Amino acid sequence: MEFTEPIVLVLTSLADGPKHGYALAKDIESFAGIKLGPGTLYGALSRLEYRGWIEALPAEDRRRPYQITSAGAEHLAVHLRTAREVAATGLRRLEPKLAP
Amino acid sequence: MTRSWPASLLLAYPPEWRARYGDELELLVRDLRASGRNPVPMAFDLLRGAAAAWCGTRRGFTMSERSRQALITVLWSWVAFAATAAWFGHDLAIYPSRTAAPLIGRAHPAVPDAYHVLLAAGIAGLAATAIAALAFAVEAARAARAQRRYRTLALMAVPPVVAGAWLGGAQLLSGGTDTTTRMTFAVFWLLLGLAGIAAATQTVAKIVRATDFSAATWRIGTAAAAAVTAAMLVGTGATITWGLAFRAAQGHTPGDSWLIVTAILAVTTGRAAIALIGSRRAASPEAVTA
Repeated sequence: MEFTEPIVLVLTSLADGPKHGYALAKDIESFAGIKLGPGTLYGALSRLEYRGWIEALPAEDRRRPYQITSAGAEHLAVHLRTAREVAATGLRRLEPKLAP
Repeated sequence: MTRSWPASLLLAYPPEWRARYGDELELLVRDLRASGRNPVPMAFDLLRGAAAAWCGTRRGFTMSERSRQALITVLWSWVAFAATAAWFGHDLAIYPSRTAAPLIGRAHPAVPDAYHVLLAAGIAGLAATAIAALAFAVEAARAARAQRRYRTLALMAVPPVVAGAWLGGAQLLSGGTDTTTRMTFAVFWLLLGLAGIAAATQTVAKIVRATDFSAATWRIGTAAAAAVTAAMLVGTGATITWGLAFRAAQGHTPGDSWLIVTAILAVTTGRAAIALIGSRRAASPEAVTA
């Protein structure tokens, strides 16, 4: 599965504990400044659940929380490490151009 | 509770998808509306999500854990079947002796015919396995390299290394000294080969469980599993036919090994067929999450 942005955002949001749809949307908005639409959010949730990277918990007041699985955490960690290396390389190469 | 107009767009989603996520999504739309989210972009987003869900359904095939497990079950069954059939088939063409076999074959053509059918089924099964193995190996290696999962790459080396070591050892043993020593080593090497086959199969199963394969590769895997199961069915039928034809040949009995082998082939074939049918039944609801 490709690591699309909504998938990364959802996994990152779930990294610190289970959340239901609305809590996820609000959390992602607060840490990334991105307002994920409901269709995009549930598209990502369905793909992640299918892959076994998140799992649904029993519903609370019709809201079903989701939690990240160990496989999901592992995939997210690998992706984030790669992203960190890419970001570091990019910033290092940009330094001479951005220096005053 | 009245449904908001963006929530009405949930009707655009596939029924199976709606059955699983519809309530939750509707609640989210209501909560977002209550928090002041603009309904127009939300409506477009829902329509885009519905289109993606339909495309996923039409694309129709992604691999669930159940289907993944079914492929692994077919693999184990096929390995057990192939090992048993290879051991049995090795002697069939010359059974009970090199002089008696042609005589029985001429009197009862079903005996050599069944043997050739078993051989053909084995070749077809091996060809299907080789094609699927190549597709899975290429993608597993690509994914392992991209994600720096060196353990997967190390696991991928296990089957060829085991096969190479075993064949090399067998080659060395064939030039051994006295008959008793050679026989002892041959039995030991045979048991070691069985352990090697089990270890290699377990390794392949681990890789299949741990890697995210594309839908195309899963399709190849499922087609190969179907072909292998069909080959197993034909092979089991041929072995039964061989035994019955042999029994019909006056003065000959196929022996106890035939019954044992037939039982093993039938059980492994049944196990593969049940796993495959079970995964087919489970395929439709899973497609909604593609």
